[in-house]
Amino acid sequence: MADISRRQLIGGAAGLAAVGGLAAACGGSSGGTGTGTGGGGGGGGTPKRGGNFRLGVTGGGSKDIMDGQNIITKPDQARLMTAFETLLLFDDNYKLTTDGLAESVTADNPKQYTIKLKPGIEFQNGKTLTADDVLYSFQRIGTKGNGLTGYAATATMDIAGMKKLDKYTVRLPLKTPDATVPQTLASYTFNMVPAGYKAYPAPQIGTGAYKLKSFTPGQQSVHVRNPNYWRSPQPYFDQVTIIDFNDATAQVNGLLGSQIDAMTDLPSSQVKVLAGRGMHPLVSETGGWLPLCMAIDLPPFDDVRVRQAMRLIVDRPQMIQQVLSGYGKQGNDLYGRFDPGYDSSLPQRHQDISEAKSLLKAAGHQNLSVDLHTTNGASGMVELATVFKNQAQAAGVTINLHNDPNYYGTQYLKLAFSVDFWGTRSYLNQVQQGSLPNSPYNETHWPPKSGTGSNFISLYNQALATTDDAKRVEIEHEMQKLEYDIGGYIIPFFGDLIDGYSDQVKGLKPSKGTLNLDSFGHGFRTIWFG
Amino acid sequence: MLARIRWGGVPGFVIRRVLLGLIVLIMVSIVVFAATQALPGDPARAILGRSATPQSLAALRLKLHLNQPVFTQYWTWLTGLLRGNLGTSLAAQEPVTTLLRPKLVNSSVLVAVSAILSIPLSIAIGSWAALKREKIFDTLSSNLLLVLAAIPEFVVAVVLVLLLATTVSHVLPAISNIPPGSGPWNYPSALVLPVLTLVIVVAPYVARIVRASMIEVLESDYIEMARLKGLPERTVMIRHALPNALGPVFQVIALNLAYLAGGIVVVEFVFAYAGIGSALRDAVLNHDLPVVQALAMLIAALYVALNLLADVATIMVTPRLRTRL
Repeated sequence: MADISRRQLIGGAAGLAAVGGLAAACGGSSGGTGTGTGGGGGGGGTPKRGGNFRLGVTGGGSKDIMDGQNIITKPDQARLMTAFETLLLFDDNYKLTTDGLAESVTADNPKQYTIKLKPGIEFQNGKTLTADDVLYSFQRIGTKGNGLTGYAATATMDIAGMKKLDKYTVRLPLKTPDATVPQTLASYTFNMVPAGYKAYPAPQIGTGAYKLKSFTPGQQSVHVRNPNYWRSPQPYFDQVTIIDFNDATAQVNGLLGSQIDAMTDLPSSQVKVLAGRGMHPLVSETGGWLPLCMAIDLPPFDDVRVRQAMRLIVDRPQMIQQVLSGYGKQGNDLYGRFDPGYDSSLPQRHQDISEAKSLLKAAGHQNLSVDLHTTNGASGMVELATVFKNQAQAAGVTINLHNDPNYYGTQYLKLAFSVDFWGTRSYLNQVQQGSLPNSPYNETHWPPKSGTGSNFISLYNQALATTDDAKRVEIEHEMQKLEYDIGGYIIPFFGDLIDGYSDQVKGLKPSKGTLNLDSFGHGFRTIWFG
Repeated sequence: MLARIRWGGVPGFVIRRVLLGLIVLIMVSIVVFAATQALPGDPARAILGRSATPQSLAALRLKLHLNQPVFTQYWTWLTGLLRGNLGTSLAAQEPVTTLLRPKLVNSSVLVAVSAILSIPLSIAIGSWAALKREKIFDTLSSNLLLVLAAIPEFVVAVVLVLLLATTVSHVLPAISNIPPGSGPWNYPSALVLPVLTLVIVVAPYVARIVRASMIEVLESDYIEMARLKGLPERTVMIRHALPNALGPVFQVIALNLAYLAGGIVVVEFVFAYAGIGSALRDAVLNHDLPVVQALAMLIAALYVALNLLADVATIMVTPRLRTRL
């Protein structure tokens, strides 16, 4: 897929000129990506063709969809990865690469990018991927009424002003400077679709490794090998079957009984069971996190001392043990841990009950009693709230736990104290998703409207407009210092992603990305049956 | 033609019971509708989830008629129900009938096969135990059945999976994945464990009732008379004892079949079997009211129908009741 030096080079850049500059160094890499174990193989020897790969996924239901640029449930993520691809690509270390559909993405100036496609890539129906498809793909995501996941990220893009320069080149002007465009272009909901594309039940034609054969929401979808895939000789399976499961017990049973070959979200209690039976748990360190969210404008959390006290109540190592069975890394109330701009120099927060007590006393909340809302959403959300409730008792704080099945339907984003979930993102992308007044999911109502921290938005805009990496990181550190000192998130840990697969499956390795199973074997193309 | 049907007699009884059943179902429909209305939360929000915007919410509410008065919604739903139109699933955006038909077929096959196996089996075990009362077979089977009856179905299912599919041996599939578009009859091996679980769950109850009922009958005067007349034991059992013992048994079988229709929720969950159980769970999670309502009505109708059948069957085997009609 990529040689080390290129990865390091791109990784250091995280954005502008470098991605463009790199293009020259790796142009024409498309041909050789699939050979040997370079495609992501963690052992297993030479890839072999054939077989029906059966993947069990929880979290789906009759709401399942297939759309190249949108997801609702987790099996939708897997389905999307079978047939659709992005312009840029994150590698397993969450570094940007030009291994996607674009040969280069160059920043001509802070307000303009040029996207150059790899020539000759064909869609599954034989049509060549051209600038027109790129224009259509951007327009589709950027149309608010389409309600696609990627819409929020198009806020800075002047999509109406996009221009086709030649068959394979597109100019993307920006409304306001945005250094995170390359990361956005590598997000899995920013896939390229052919001009005129529509969601299922319309035909699903992408550039990806497998063609959709059948799809029954809530049950399963079947995908057959695309023989004209541009990364020949990938993919290796004849067929991929994505099967919906209601719960992990049936999934584990199916894996142990060989009715499926791999499963998403293995419960941590089952890791040893699987390993003891000749199966493989796949433990991936991720940048995903479950926050306790305090709304900074709602009582009692409108008092910064209460927020600080809450953050000092948390015993993070104990939380990792109890919520994640040890499968996680300590958090420091900051997100974006794989971003080069992540400030690891800020001191690690530890439990300090006496300090928490005196802060609460100073704030006039000695016997604080608050409601904490959670739901059986992402795994661990309920456990996190329960463990926090117990830890809070030591500081004399009473937590009234509400586990509400309709949490995301009714009260979400309006609550003073709640639990949520987030995947891996770079820092500025995450800010745009959750920490600005116009973010789609701002649980903490950050930033403050006045006083300390109210300059957060202008810092953000400054960071987006800064093309010099070192300077931008400086601004990002300033932003993180504000969130670290007075923000509304308690981020106790970054959880590991744990999946399971049978001994027959080769080529999977841990990845730092958001998606399960090494981004589903990079779209089911770098894995095979040994 | 109608005038010739007397209100008395078996046909009249059946007609009266059917009419009563319909009244019950209409009352059930009110309760089901009221209950689903009372569920907290807004279906439009539940469907759109984290990505809801005020505009998309308003549009969806309009589409789902959620802004109409409750009585109008009920009337639209009930009249649709009578015409066989169960509405459109909120989550899947397709007709409920289309969505549920294949799942209903899967579940029906599961229940039917379980019933066909468990009923004769439990009648045989119960009768034999009654005949050999207080002998080894009776003691063993009675105790074993008591133990089995006390184990919840998910424990039975998990133990069977451990024994036959994952840990001890691999002779059967651990999950019963029936691909959409094909029936469970194409995957007989996938049916074995769910059916076995249901048989183990249901048979003990029926067998114990058969045994008790049979013992009572065997102690009656007419059986003694038949034996004194020198009839062979086989004839005594099959011609005289069994028909009389089956009256109460039909009621228990009906209740157990109705229970099967609900109890498969757990079994389908454990085996990831695509039936109405998993559909019901999915619909409740998604706040998919039309599907929840349709399934609740379906299960209620099944209860009414099975009870009716059991009553008719009881009357047919009990001349004493027949003449009283």
